[in-house]
Amino acid sequence: MFEEILEDIAQRNSLREVNTSLKLAVGLGGLVLCLVSTGYVAPLFIALALIAALVLLARIDAYTVAELFVAPAIFAATGVIVIVLTSGGVDPFWVWQPLSWLSLSVTPESIDRGFLVFCRTLGGMASLIFIALTTPMTDLFGVMRQCRLPAVLVELVMIIYQTIFLLLDHLVLIYRAQLMRLGYSSPGEWIRSFSTLAGAGFIGAWNAGEDLIRAREMRCYDGKLVILGEVRPVAARPLLTATGFLALSAALVVLTRSITVFPTVP
Amino acid sequence: MTGIILEARDLRYRYPRGDEVVRGISFHIRRGEKIAIVGPNGAGKSTLLMMFNGILRPSSGTMLYDNQPIIYDTKSLRSLRKSVGFVLQNPDQQIVAPTVYQDVGFGPANLGASEEEVKRAVQEALRAVGLEGFEHRPTHQLSGGEKKKVAIAGVLAMEPEVLVFDEPTSSLDPAASAEIMELLDELNDQGTTIIVSTHDIELANLWADRAILMVGGWILQEDVPSVAFGDPDLVRAARLTTPVLLELHHELGRRGIPVPAERPRSVLEMLDAIDRAFQQDPHRAHPGTITVYDADAPCDGGLARWRALRPEVAIGAMGTRAKQRAAEEGVPLHFTYGVVDKCILKALLGEDALILTTGGMIRRVFERVEEYARQSGVEIPVVLIGGE
Repeated sequence: MFEEILEDIAQRNSLREVNTSLKLAVGLGGLVLCLVSTGYVAPLFIALALIAALVLLARIDAYTVAELFVAPAIFAATGVIVIVLTSGGVDPFWVWQPLSWLSLSVTPESIDRGFLVFCRTLGGMASLIFIALTTPMTDLFGVMRQCRLPAVLVELVMIIYQTIFLLLDHLVLIYRAQLMRLGYSSPGEWIRSFSTLAGAGFIGAWNAGEDLIRAREMRCYDGKLVILGEVRPVAARPLLTATGFLALSAALVVLTRSITVFPTVP
Repeated sequence: MTGIILEARDLRYRYPRGDEVVRGISFHIRRGEKIAIVGPNGAGKSTLLMMFNGILRPSSGTMLYDNQPIIYDTKSLRSLRKSVGFVLQNPDQQIVAPTVYQDVGFGPANLGASEEEVKRAVQEALRAVGLEGFEHRPTHQLSGGEKKKVAIAGVLAMEPEVLVFDEPTSSLDPAASAEIMELLDELNDQGTTIIVSTHDIELANLWADRAILMVGGWILQEDVPSVAFGDPDLVRAARLTTPVLLELHHELGRRGIPVPAERPRSVLEMLDAIDRAFQQDPHRAHPGTITVYDADAPCDGGLARWRALRPEVAIGAMGTRAKQRAAEEGVPLHFTYGVVDKCILKALLGEDALILTTGGMIRRVFERVEEYARQSGVEIPVVLIGGE
């Protein structure tokens, strides 16, 4: 089952000690620039730069990064194929009309539109994966507090975060015990085992909730939570790198806004 | 050791729609004592512990803290829980926040401490348990021993007078268990009353000042461990086994070997009894020297130099700070638990030993060696360096 989760990778990455706000600025900045870009060059640059940063600076295994991209990339590619075939245009390379109301074609415009969407998706994914792999959730609690999110919301996020791991451990233990006793060995057994696992998960969550209430009572809970604010200073080198990346990306958004795959496309 | 801090008067507890698990228990605990509540599974130990800080309210009888009956209203319970800290058997049931800092700071924050006070309390508690630098670590990524220490730090940060531990060493490896027990000694040395519930009779025999033997919701025996565990019939009735040292003492006596009437609590005391019985004391005339090194002395590499000049000397560290100091100076440790007795054993073999420790524990080393000299008549030289 889930032997390693993104949070564990994020806790170990080499950019862990870089200021959280700076990393968020890079990720969210990259995402916004991908969305506003009308040319494919800037999103492609953002995607490649952030992937390089993940592998070279955050020292995350390239295979893990590639694995994370596979599912969304396949999803994006499927969407892009539909866009290319249905968005039409002039001077088609290929046309097929299987039904009177359905015409499929590949045109320079549709290829250009599809490639732009693909690059934007890739850039957006890279930005989000950059945040997910370099900024563990535990660092975001302090940012949430700084952003003055309601205390009850932050508390809820903290409880959910902590309970996920308790439940996950509980479920992994039961899943292994089921495997050892030949659970999931046939379709019928699979259904029985999975429903038992779900039931055990519910009981586990219930017990975890009761334990939490008791533990808080023992520690004099009075509605107050402690959140350690950001203690990592904004160092000069990461600041320069982040600023340089965002400035270069923004410049590319402006300068390459009219660059298309086919120069004839307006 | 003065004054009664906790007292139970005819305590009974019955779970809703369940059996009575505590059946009329009375005892008292004095300030600064180390108490072990020992019994098999189902003896009612954990239920009894949960009545110490008002998590459970007795069905009948009275629980007193500081000679005052516990009052079960919110305000009084908050005050009680600040004074009586409880560390559960399973730290996963105790850790309430996703990071170490948030968890350890939880208690002080809820007691109304300012942000700066919380920060200081967290730092001090983490230093006490040897987890400095763990502030940002997510609690789910810690090992069992580290989680236990975080749970202890969370309670220590509230500065309790009494610490109650339910099975402190369960599911820990021997090294982690030894570290936890040594930490309890260190906390006790600083004046905290410690109550431990366990079914590990060997641990209770070595560690406790007084043992309360429980079975079936009753107290079977209450005395110093060597007496409480010295009656094989009582120990059997409690579904436990006699500690190895007591059994050995008993068997030597049955074979006509003249062992002293006082039962041994440590390997040192046992060995002393055997040496006397067989009149073997080849090294007693020239015992080795125990050097005590103050781990709070300036960290100028003096310890490493001392060690380099005497590579054959066995070194033990007592306390978290001492272990940190040894790690900082790259000094390997031979003993981390039961250090004084192990060093006395070395000295009796004519070998020198070094004890690295701090503060009040330095005095404890001298006291223990003097106590041994009174009991055995063997004077072991003790030298203090690096301190006053």
